[in-house]
Amino acid sequence: MAGIADHATSNGPPGADVTIAPRVRQQMSRDDILMRTLLVVWILWLLATVALPLGALLRKSVEGPNGEFVGLANFAQFFANPALTASIGNSLYIALVSTVICVFFAFVFAYGLTRTCMPGRGTFKLISQIPLLAPSLLPAISLVYLFGNQGIAKDLLFGASIYGPIGIIIGEVFWTFPHALIILITALSTSDGRLYEAAEALKASNWRTFWTVTVPGARYGLISAIFVVFTLVVTDFGVPKVIGGQYNVLATDVYKQVIGQQNFRMGAVVGLILLLPAVLSFVVDQYVQRFQSTALSSRAIPYQPKPNALIDTTCFIACSLMAAAVLLIIGMAFFASLATLWPYNLTPSFKNYDFNNMDGGGWGSFYNSLKMAGLTAVFGSILIFTGAYLVEKTKGFESGRFVFQLLALLPLAVPGIVLGLGYIFFFNAPSNPASAIYGTMTILVVCSIAHFYSVSHLTAVTALKQLDREIETVSASLKVPFYRTFFMVTLPVCLPALLDICMYLFVNALTTVSAVVFLYSPDTTLASIAVLNMDDAGDVAPAAAMAMTIFFAATIVRTAYTLLAKGVLMRTQAWRVR
Amino acid sequence: MDTPTNAERTPEPYLVIRGVTKRFGSFTAIENIDLDIHKGEFVSFLGPSGCGKTTLLRAISGLDVQTSGRIQQAGRDISNLPVSERDFGIVFQSYALFPNLKIKDNVGYGLVSAGKSRNEIAARVDELLAMVGLADQANKYPSQLSGGQQQRVSLARALALSPGLLLLDEPLSALDARVRARLRGEIRDLQKRLGITTIMVTHDQEEALTMSDRIVVMSKGHIEQIGTPDDVYRKPASPFVADFVGRMNFIQGQLRDASSADCLGAHLTFATELTYAPGTPVTICLRPEDVTVRDTNGSVNTFDVDVGVMEFMGNHFSTTLHVANSHLNLSADFSMNAVRDLGIKPGARIKATLPADRLRVFPAPK
Repeated sequence: MAGIADHATSNGPPGADVTIAPRVRQQMSRDDILMRTLLVVWILWLLATVALPLGALLRKSVEGPNGEFVGLANFAQFFANPALTASIGNSLYIALVSTVICVFFAFVFAYGLTRTCMPGRGTFKLISQIPLLAPSLLPAISLVYLFGNQGIAKDLLFGASIYGPIGIIIGEVFWTFPHALIILITALSTSDGRLYEAAEALKASNWRTFWTVTVPGARYGLISAIFVVFTLVVTDFGVPKVIGGQYNVLATDVYKQVIGQQNFRMGAVVGLILLLPAVLSFVVDQYVQRFQSTALSSRAIPYQPKPNALIDTTCFIACSLMAAAVLLIIGMAFFASLATLWPYNLTPSFKNYDFNNMDGGGWGSFYNSLKMAGLTAVFGSILIFTGAYLVEKTKGFESGRFVFQLLALLPLAVPGIVLGLGYIFFFNAPSNPASAIYGTMTILVVCSIAHFYSVSHLTAVTALKQLDREIETVSASLKVPFYRTFFMVTLPVCLPALLDICMYLFVNALTTVSAVVFLYSPDTTLASIAVLNMDDAGDVAPAAAMAMTIFFAATIVRTAYTLLAKGVLMRTQAWRVR
Repeated sequence: MDTPTNAERTPEPYLVIRGVTKRFGSFTAIENIDLDIHKGEFVSFLGPSGCGKTTLLRAISGLDVQTSGRIQQAGRDISNLPVSERDFGIVFQSYALFPNLKIKDNVGYGLVSAGKSRNEIAARVDELLAMVGLADQANKYPSQLSGGQQQRVSLARALALSPGLLLLDEPLSALDARVRARLRGEIRDLQKRLGITTIMVTHDQEEALTMSDRIVVMSKGHIEQIGTPDDVYRKPASPFVADFVGRMNFIQGQLRDASSADCLGAHLTFATELTYAPGTPVTICLRPEDVTVRDTNGSVNTFDVDVGVMEFMGNHFSTTLHVANSHLNLSADFSMNAVRDLGIKPGARIKATLPADRLRVFPAPK
């Protein structure tokens, strides 16, 4: 049987009849309605705790003394004041130099950890994370003891003063080092071993391989690290506050305008200027991330370093020096905190730890800090993980999900000190029904959750994305409500990420100074603020003691967490074992 | 044209799809699809990636509802229902098992929410696991099973609530060849035993040919042909189907009269008469295995051919033939027996027939 066959065979009417067919709109299931409602609630929360405070800050910057609109008059006033505009140059200078030094060091360190067979890599990695466990005030205080007027190694500076750019830069490099390191370790460890084998087969020298394979492979990580460090330095005020001396930077200007001179409008102006580098860095980082994700194909084979005596030894020496510097700075603060009366009586004593007889709120502020960090960790991780789940799994509702994503990432671009200032304007307004929380522990927790929202959110989203997308589909086809699958499957599978978020929030809330410095009240003084105030009052040794107390608390909790998490994960993650 | 063979005929089709169109922005993924699926049928959506087969499945399941058009299941209009209010079980290429739940809890997942008692659930789970041959794996976790086993768990889970419709989204594509072949038979047996209406999306023609009652061949968002595996293979409705399913010779020619054509110097005769004017360019399709070399005497379309390259395929030879005194080349498959008996080897001249009733003729694309 042969013949000209008909074209497509269909048993319906010809196509022309249905071109104006009505659009099908899918009914919402109970799950859909519930999830959208919850997502809206979460959006409102982020609006209230992130967007509106920033809006209040913006409004304040264009207001006159009596709340009238004055346009850009405040900005004009700012730029007419050479004392203030000088800070812009100072901030940029400090940030540039610190970034170059920090990223260079971190790259060498990360290279040693990921690409060589040098001994002690585990120990090095552990030591490199130390700065994360202390407020940024600690390295600055330590530098005062090392190179200050009564410092033990003052002569090494050959007459130059540590109080100023030198001190700020050293302190910032110390404090931002682990942040750059984490990014670069990730960038360097996600490399394709096959490229190195190809380079070797083509007889390329190590040096050429380094510049043609290693560096290009890590370039997005490098860009990302540069911008992260730059932003951290520009917006940090802990280090310059302690060791900056007469050298003003933008971050300390905000503090001085608000706390020192009670000039809120000028504080708002400087805060907005401080927002610029952070926003720029945020945009660049988002742009770069797009490439990073596609840089490595799924068929890549991880790079396995081979022993190489010269490279291993060189890296070992370099890493040892850096690790020694970290230990020296921490050790110096600890030593100083134990000295009875620096530098005259070095007999060890706990006199400086007798916080109750000093300004700053005593041991009470330390307990407040623990409480605040604990509340932030518990409520923050629940809030953030649930939000990430809702935005990832809600079907349709593109507009809502887009707004949520935007709001969730916004805090990444907002320096803590700017956020804190926004909180004053927003929550201290008598017209705000939520103004009752002003001056309470609640506002500290709310602000801290908002401040550290983005990184935690991204961690949660990454964990959620690793789950098969079809799990929710299967559940729906089995007529199981989404919350059951959330508790039965999603949450248990993402437990490691959730615990990481919890820990991240705790440590950061414990060590932060920036956002909360404007928000504490006599009843809610915090340990990190106490460090600042004691140092301000000239009680440098007790300040060091309090900074060390925070450091030890963070270390203990972190260690306990590691051990505990191991136990919990062993019991709950048995399914991961093949 | 679309006659279900194995399926039980009922007056009203189980699934009725009418005028279904799905657009993503300005891109039309499927356009104006009409399709009837009867109760108990196993239907495959077959086509290359991007042909719209998955889009159609997602419209049927409600995962991505169609832009316009109607879908009716068991007499109920489900066009705009959410996933949870439709009646289907689904199996994905990725298995989508709950990684932290044991096999028995995976299978019983839907039963718990359905409010069944503990004993009922346990009994049903045992039954389902026995059905897919995994009764002894109930207390393991998914990662402890092989890919084929995981896919069987996924199947058992999909069947737990006894849905009216089973959807299989490339269920075997992630498995290796051996497991795939075995599971093909197992799924088909199970489907026949349960009599469950089943739709499978696949890009693998062999899978579609071996498992289905009917195949829906799709291309560029349209249905090219609906038919039994035999229909689709023997009587492709378009050059696309002819090309996509199995291997095919495409011979270009010009009609000489209503039932023959000149093809690069060779004169081919067809079994039926065409309505096109002489001189119309046509494409003539012939399966390589339909070229015959035995009993060629007196048959139409018999030519002297020179044997070119011969490729050993294990159970047959794939050869290229050149038709003497013409510019016509074609592929032909010869059995080991034929090659031995007739002494076919590269360079040999033999007689070959292109059977008139095996030729499919289409007007050549302009």
